[in-house]
Amino acid sequence: MTQAAVEKVAVRQYKGTPGQIRRRRIELTAGVVLGSLAMVWIVINIINSPTQFAQVFILGFRNGLLYALIALGYTLVYGIIELINFAHGDLFMLGALFASYFITVWFGQEKSNLAGWLTFLAALIAAMAFCGGLNILIERFAYRRLRRAPKIAPLITAVGVSFILQFVGIKWNGSTPRNWPKVLPQSEFTVLGVNVAWNTVILLLVAVPLLLLLTWVVTKTRQGKAMRATAQDQDAARLMGIDVNRTISFTFAIGGALAGAAGLLYQQTTGTTNYNLGFQLGLIAFTSAVLGGIGNLNGAVLGAVLIGIIQGLNDGLPIALGQKWSQTVVFTILILIMVFKPAGLLGKSTTEKV
Amino acid sequence: MATRAARKAKKATRKPASHRTWALGYLAVAAVIFVVYQYALPWEGLPLPIYDFLQLWLPPTSINEALVYVICALGLNVVVGYAGLLDLGYVAFWAIGGYSAGWFMSNFFEQWNVHGLASVAATEPGIHINFWLVLVIGGVICAFFGVVIGAPTLRLKSDYLALVTLGFGEIIPQIFFNGEDINGFNLSNGTKGITRLDPIPTGVKDLGPFDFGSKFVIFVLLAALMVFISLQLRRGRLGRAWLAIREDELAASMMGVPLMRTKLASYAVGAVAGGIGGVAFATHVDGVYAERFNFSISIFLLAMVVLGGMGNVWGVILGAFILSWINSTGLPALGDTFNTQFGTNIDFPSFTFLLFGLVLILMILFKREGLIPESRLRMVLHEGDADEELKPAQLKPADGEGNK
Amino acid sequence: MTLSNELVLDASNISVQFGGLLAVNDVSFNIPKKSVVSLIGPNGAGKTTFFNVLTGLYKPSEGKVMFGDREITDLPPHKIASIGLARTFQNIRLFGLMTAEENLLVAMHSHLKSGIASTILRTSRQRKEEKEALESAREILDFVGIGKWASEYARNLSYGDQRRLEVARALALKPEILLLDEPTAGMNPQESGVFVDFVHRVRDARDVAILLIEHDMSVVMSVSERITVLDRGEKIAEGSPEEIRSNQRVIEAYLGKAASEGRGK
Repeated sequence: MTQAAVEKVAVRQYKGTPGQIRRRRIELTAGVVLGSLAMVWIVINIINSPTQFAQVFILGFRNGLLYALIALGYTLVYGIIELINFAHGDLFMLGALFASYFITVWFGQEKSNLAGWLTFLAALIAAMAFCGGLNILIERFAYRRLRRAPKIAPLITAVGVSFILQFVGIKWNGSTPRNWPKVLPQSEFTVLGVNVAWNTVILLLVAVPLLLLLTWVVTKTRQGKAMRATAQDQDAARLMGIDVNRTISFTFAIGGALAGAAGLLYQQTTGTTNYNLGFQLGLIAFTSAVLGGIGNLNGAVLGAVLIGIIQGLNDGLPIALGQKWSQTVVFTILILIMVFKPAGLLGKSTTEKV
Repeated sequence: MATRAARKAKKATRKPASHRTWALGYLAVAAVIFVVYQYALPWEGLPLPIYDFLQLWLPPTSINEALVYVICALGLNVVVGYAGLLDLGYVAFWAIGGYSAGWFMSNFFEQWNVHGLASVAATEPGIHINFWLVLVIGGVICAFFGVVIGAPTLRLKSDYLALVTLGFGEIIPQIFFNGEDINGFNLSNGTKGITRLDPIPTGVKDLGPFDFGSKFVIFVLLAALMVFISLQLRRGRLGRAWLAIREDELAASMMGVPLMRTKLASYAVGAVAGGIGGVAFATHVDGVYAERFNFSISIFLLAMVVLGGMGNVWGVILGAFILSWINSTGLPALGDTFNTQFGTNIDFPSFTFLLFGLVLILMILFKREGLIPESRLRMVLHEGDADEELKPAQLKPADGEGNK
Repeated sequence: MTLSNELVLDASNISVQFGGLLAVNDVSFNIPKKSVVSLIGPNGAGKTTFFNVLTGLYKPSEGKVMFGDREITDLPPHKIASIGLARTFQNIRLFGLMTAEENLLVAMHSHLKSGIASTILRTSRQRKEEKEALESAREILDFVGIGKWASEYARNLSYGDQRRLEVARALALKPEILLLDEPTAGMNPQESGVFVDFVHRVRDARDVAILLIEHDMSVVMSVSERITVLDRGEKIAEGSPEEIRSNQRVIEAYLGKAASEGRGK
């Protein structure tokens, strides 16, 4: 191992073994305690209203998949250039808007029939292209110059981009929420007394293949390998002949595309768009990415599903804090993770230097 | 080429206008504004066009509001500009300050009756404490929360810190928003807000919500206080420690600077400013309204600090004034004039997001040091630029590493 | 020359493990008072890692470090610095945007006492403290020979002067031990010679012990009273320059070529 690599590893283990052991023990205890409390709360609710629990759980799981699509964008970008792209959530919002215009305004589809579904598929491709392309542009013009600047600079720029995208949202969508007809089937079916909406199934049918596709791209293709190399060591990757600029653009493109897909799915399952959608869901998605371990793709999905379920349970169950505390709950989780376990569930244990 | 480099070197190291010059300049402007609004505006002999112009483009409310932003921006400047910590949740302190005013200067807590040098009759229910004391109390409460929030989070890296502060900046206002019924206790009156605050006692006259001129003087004094505190701290060992941390945290700690304590200090000082600004703002709008505290305020303040020049109090004052004015008055007034002139119906105020977003992006990309840069800052923020130009001429032999 | 029996630093059985890699393996090391000792070894031997353990940046997996009669193994870096262990950096890490004297004033942070209130109010005690600190800083700058650059931004100094400023800044901590991390990197032989005299001057005038990590063998041989050699995380030799020069194991490890070069210089 080179001296530099050794130092990098060492600083991560700043607390040293005796302290490390103690810390791990505390984390484990805290995790067990929290987990048990959560279990108790869940069990109480299951006993109280089993069907409602199941429905809320499924809904939460579905939302979790949606968050996963967005969270992957955050984690991909953070993994490769260590930047939290604040504007990513707003990209998702624009994707939702784009999808709604595509389906309803440009193609005039309002019913759930074959034409509607075909338009839906076309919209999926279009929204992914739109958001992917937009993300490439954002990286090119707002972030690329700042790659070696002190960290505070691209962070501030990202916030600025977020605001501009929200502005576009205000102008395009209006400043109040808008409703749109849905071309996905609206009916439900019942399984074991639990109502499941058809569009939940459809969301699964769209999201899961996308996630699998992403995994394949990252692990099996050359571009994916280039991404992973660049994420580990940009300069070394460059020396190995990897076009770092193009790889980073590619990463932004994929992240954007997933956000676009999420936007379409959101818009078609809830039927609404709003200019500040990105801000709300963006923070939830980012929390998911951090919970799972930022930089870790599987972690992003795991974290997103967990957050989705937690949020769903909190919002929908009778014995819970309710929807008005929803954001607080998610943010509290974010803060707790960042303070106590910034590596997340699946990340490597990187203790921050003081 | 050589002369260009030499000129840049000269520019980078020339002494900026002294603090005294700036202070006197701003005080002169304040004096002029005061005279205009206290005496010229109410004068019957004032020609109508001038009166209309002033009311449209520079109404006294917008000036006082701008001053509140100045106070808070100066506080954020200590955190972001001096210590280099990105805080995206500053609105939390503004909110806490505001609610301090609401709790201690109104009939809100009518179930109690506590009076402390109050400006209202002793028979009034609720907690009524002297405005000047409430400023201190609000500051102290905010400093406390600053430490509470900062202690677990300030050791995180800059991007994580930004997110966590953002989180707090959302949680605290949301607590106030939902605060009408927290286990039966009414903390904040939720969306209804707390209204009708006590007047400000000045020994001469009690100031109510419409005493713009006198309030202007008070707000100017508070801003001046923040400037004074900032500059004094900057000169001393704490300011040096902040600069060192901003530049190279590791080296600073190896030179004996206690990182956590120093960062916490910046956070606490910034929080106090937020608290003072919050109290002032509450008296300005005569109330505390939960929905006014949102994330965009934190970003507005950040834009003001970035526009003005991170670390330069005079620039930040200017940046705060400009952006606050544009947001509250400039855009709407421009919109009205434009629309009546051209018969259009463009919603100018909705361009606020575009404006602030552009300010942040363009300033960072092209003039990162701000309008009135702190001369050294120009050097650190352009380090490592993709298209970095010639640095000030340096007489170094070719070496592998150079300095950081 | 005989070394003092009194130890100012005593590190015993230090091991540092990163994942599967044992970067430092059971190394014991001490620094006698007012001595000049060196730590050498091939690249990757673990010198910088060990160095970082002494300064508190890394925590060892095993072993402890005593500073006088106080254990410092678990103390944070700034605390260790404030009780008297100062270091310079291999890649100069000055505060480039602060002047030379400001760099020193930062290092005096832990020795100054003014708090927020006294700074804001600029009490006479605070003013006196600042004045004395500034005088002390100037004196140190004069001592290392860059007094005339006191008000110059550190980033604008020449490379050699920056090196001196790094040492000056470390001296501002009023240390009992000065750790110098490859201080002659980038210097030509003449500059290195000047530096050797400088080290002696510092040791005598400031009453500090000096620990040097170095690759330049001529410097090591001419300035050290005792040399410790690490190789692949282990201590393989320790003794006077003559002993080390003729130690077979050391020569094998890497000294071979460099030793003859050193003799030729």
